[in-house]
Amino acid sequence: MKQLLKQPGRLLGLLFLGMSSALTVQQAQAEHDIRGISQGANGVFNLYAYPFNMNLPEGTSLYMWGFGDLDLGEGASHQAGANYQLPQYPAPTLIVTEGEAVTINLVNYGVPDNISIEMTGHEIDSQCIDIPAPGGPTPTTGATNCTAGLFTNEAAVGQAVSYTFTAGSPGTYIYHSLAGQNPGLHTEMGLVGVMVVRPADYDPINNRTAYGAGTGTDYDHENLYLMTEVDPDIHIQMEKGHKNHFTNTDRYAKVWFINGRVFPDLFQGDYNTLFPNQPYEALVMSRPGDVVLVRNVNAGQDAHPMHYHGENLRFIGRDGKMLSSDGAVADLGRSDNTINSQPKQTVDALWTWTGKDLGWDIYGHDAGHNCIDVSPRDGYADANSDYPGEWCNDHGKPIPVSLPGVGDLTLGGWWSGSPFLGDTGDLPPGEGGLNPFGGYFLVWHSHAEKELTTFDIFPGGSLGSVVVLPPGTPIE
Amino acid sequence: MKLFSKQALAGAIALALLGISGQASAIVNVQCPGDNNGDADWNDAGESQPANTKCMHLIAGDSYAMMSDGNPLYTFGFGDQTGTAPDQVIGEGILSAEWPGPTIELNEGDHFYLNLTNVGTVVRPDLFDPHTVHFHGFPNASAAFDGVPEVSISINMGSTLTYYYNIVEPGTYLYHCHVEATEHMEMGMLANLYVHPIQDELGCFDFGADNPGTTEYDPVRIPNGNCAAAVGSGGYVYNDGDGTTAFDVESAIQLSSFDQVFHDASLFVQPLPFALLEGNYPQFNGRGYPDTINPDPLPAPADATDPIADPAGVNGGKVTGTVGEPLTDGAVTQLLGSRIQLDRNTGEQRLLLRLSNVGLDRFWTITAMGLTMKVVGTGARHMRGIDGKNIYKEAASHNFGGGETLDIIIDTTDVAPGTYFLHATEVHQMSNATQLDGGMITEIVIN
Repeated sequence: MKQLLKQPGRLLGLLFLGMSSALTVQQAQAEHDIRGISQGANGVFNLYAYPFNMNLPEGTSLYMWGFGDLDLGEGASHQAGANYQLPQYPAPTLIVTEGEAVTINLVNYGVPDNISIEMTGHEIDSQCIDIPAPGGPTPTTGATNCTAGLFTNEAAVGQAVSYTFTAGSPGTYIYHSLAGQNPGLHTEMGLVGVMVVRPADYDPINNRTAYGAGTGTDYDHENLYLMTEVDPDIHIQMEKGHKNHFTNTDRYAKVWFINGRVFPDLFQGDYNTLFPNQPYEALVMSRPGDVVLVRNVNAGQDAHPMHYHGENLRFIGRDGKMLSSDGAVADLGRSDNTINSQPKQTVDALWTWTGKDLGWDIYGHDAGHNCIDVSPRDGYADANSDYPGEWCNDHGKPIPVSLPGVGDLTLGGWWSGSPFLGDTGDLPPGEGGLNPFGGYFLVWHSHAEKELTTFDIFPGGSLGSVVVLPPGTPIE
Repeated sequence: MKLFSKQALAGAIALALLGISGQASAIVNVQCPGDNNGDADWNDAGESQPANTKCMHLIAGDSYAMMSDGNPLYTFGFGDQTGTAPDQVIGEGILSAEWPGPTIELNEGDHFYLNLTNVGTVVRPDLFDPHTVHFHGFPNASAAFDGVPEVSISINMGSTLTYYYNIVEPGTYLYHCHVEATEHMEMGMLANLYVHPIQDELGCFDFGADNPGTTEYDPVRIPNGNCAAAVGSGGYVYNDGDGTTAFDVESAIQLSSFDQVFHDASLFVQPLPFALLEGNYPQFNGRGYPDTINPDPLPAPADATDPIADPAGVNGGKVTGTVGEPLTDGAVTQLLGSRIQLDRNTGEQRLLLRLSNVGLDRFWTITAMGLTMKVVGTGARHMRGIDGKNIYKEAASHNFGGGETLDIIIDTTDVAPGTYFLHATEVHQMSNATQLDGGMITEIVIN
């Protein structure tokens, strides 16, 4: 925190944007965890399904079908998710532990087709139930009023099904509806989400690993990057009730999402009431040297090449299976900056940005800071340095080129005005302003570039980002 | 459209700049250590190249490219003006954009100064688009030099932005403009970029402990004798330490596709079809077969009839109305063939394919009929697990999407001599729009 306020430019940036209050909030957890829900006091998830409309930033509205949390956020992982109860896109992220007995009670409150739940990588039992009460246990009476479908028991409007299974190996899984008159429609319409299975020895403070202690999958921050895509024509036909006006071969996606939002909405914070049915943001925050676990999920129907700026990712798992030669350590993963994401596949990967070997001092060579690398002598600044994690070989080296004046440049809204991390520079009125901490924004986006549009408007679509913040910046 | 002289066009751009930007200095400003006159080289009296330093001067502008069925398409792109005096760069740079852009070939350890001058789009004087270079896959990128305009800076018309890259990771990258990425990339601001490893100079080595007694953390490279320093044309793909990424001949091939509807909409100042974008000219290095096997630059683009909309040629030239009218001031824009030859009599056994995919709307699968393709690197990194085991993947084909790069080694030691075809397995991509036996095909000739 001390370094953060060292330079007047930074302090001014904080004050101007009213961000100074963020510094006084002490977080219960020091690092980022995926937002979601766990099984409530009765040991079950109670979900419902209902249609809703959500707005896109270019002005249109999409009719959707969504899963919502019937337990009103009782099992929410974060305070902001308590009391959250709307049908949402994507569906609530379910957070469980390997070996856990999982029950998902699903009631259809108003989706005009039979619905169900399939979980990738899992064999599910299902039975008809009465409609559960919010926060209640699995009803024990009734049990006859759902509909047998091709794959599993389905719930028509007013019906309920209980799905039970045992959570499999640690990793990332997709669940979705696959039922009714046109099963191919259901993920398109929004009935799709993620289940995260944590290792049995997981501890949010002392053992933050993807697959368990000793597997080489320790991380600091955990983020969901879930891709979906939508053909608005389908949603218009469904809103009109023209269920038979659609054939699967007509589908042609025109809007592309990360975590259920498009650019720039996806930068706007979790559970932001501006987006009542889209609770999950896609802006990832990190600091130099932090390890980010990316759960890269393609929950859509089309393939997406997801490209991560800033540094390569090391793959550690796929579809809930650790990439391992011996089952003990995640040793088989390759490194890439782009993930070949095929429909309903998940990839877990680790991403770390250090600033190493840029060849110039990312904190500014004349800023008067130190870089102490004694213990461990690994090239990076020790914890007692001004900027822990700084690559000391580059310390004190001036940036080798000068940047053109602002009159020769077009300035992005997230440009801080300075090439240095944690610094801000003078910008003309109305320019910049979205990056008060002087972070490095490095975009994470689909490299099928047509997907950076929302219904024919650029920029939009699946253009997300990570921001590398100066050491000491709080990350929630 | 009538063509004007370079000088007149440069003057028009200067006038436009005076009109719109009171504060912009709008000057070509090259930064290159040791270069005194701003031409980004060291060929003039009194200049000397500092050790491990490379400079380049790219322009970003527009031009035309000829599809292999004779269809001229309007393009945005990069051109190479390294060696041109600063006051000549805009005049020389207009209408000279190459498709794909100039290949950038670097060595590990280089200090790379990349100057980018925006010369404007003279065919579209209504546009004032800035441009960038995004060094795709660059490790530990800083925001300032990452070239993403929404989150950093981009260069306006008439001015120069110099990127600095300290080159430390060998492998196959690519570069492209990131401004209005869907439009500028579809229009052709895409190119090959790759980095040779230090192992080419040192031979195989292991990293030893930190240099004792020094202030910098600097582990020493200790030769381990597993391979010799590369001589001749071959080398290694990565610092593998065991010689397993050695090759004799390398070929960088970029897979892309143009959507004619999009390019014509841009040329004729129509709304751009982002949602409906769908490439119909699949290409290797900016050409469809049979132009892919032509090793020479294609002739400078000249106007022609639209082979799809006007197959009988009754409407004359698509762009100017006159068939044969030059579309550039003599600039050739398609320099890269992709035919590959291996002469095993001179020891050329192992072929390295540096494949990059810049498809905007689809994935491709690549195969070399009759040959085994071994992937030794992806995303500009050696395929090696954290325990040091190589995890190379041998197969007859590999699927990849936009933004993915593959380092593929084909060992021809036990292969019969002949001509082999490298092509997309989505065989409808072997076409130039409606012309069959085109698109993503090239030849590997093994003697």
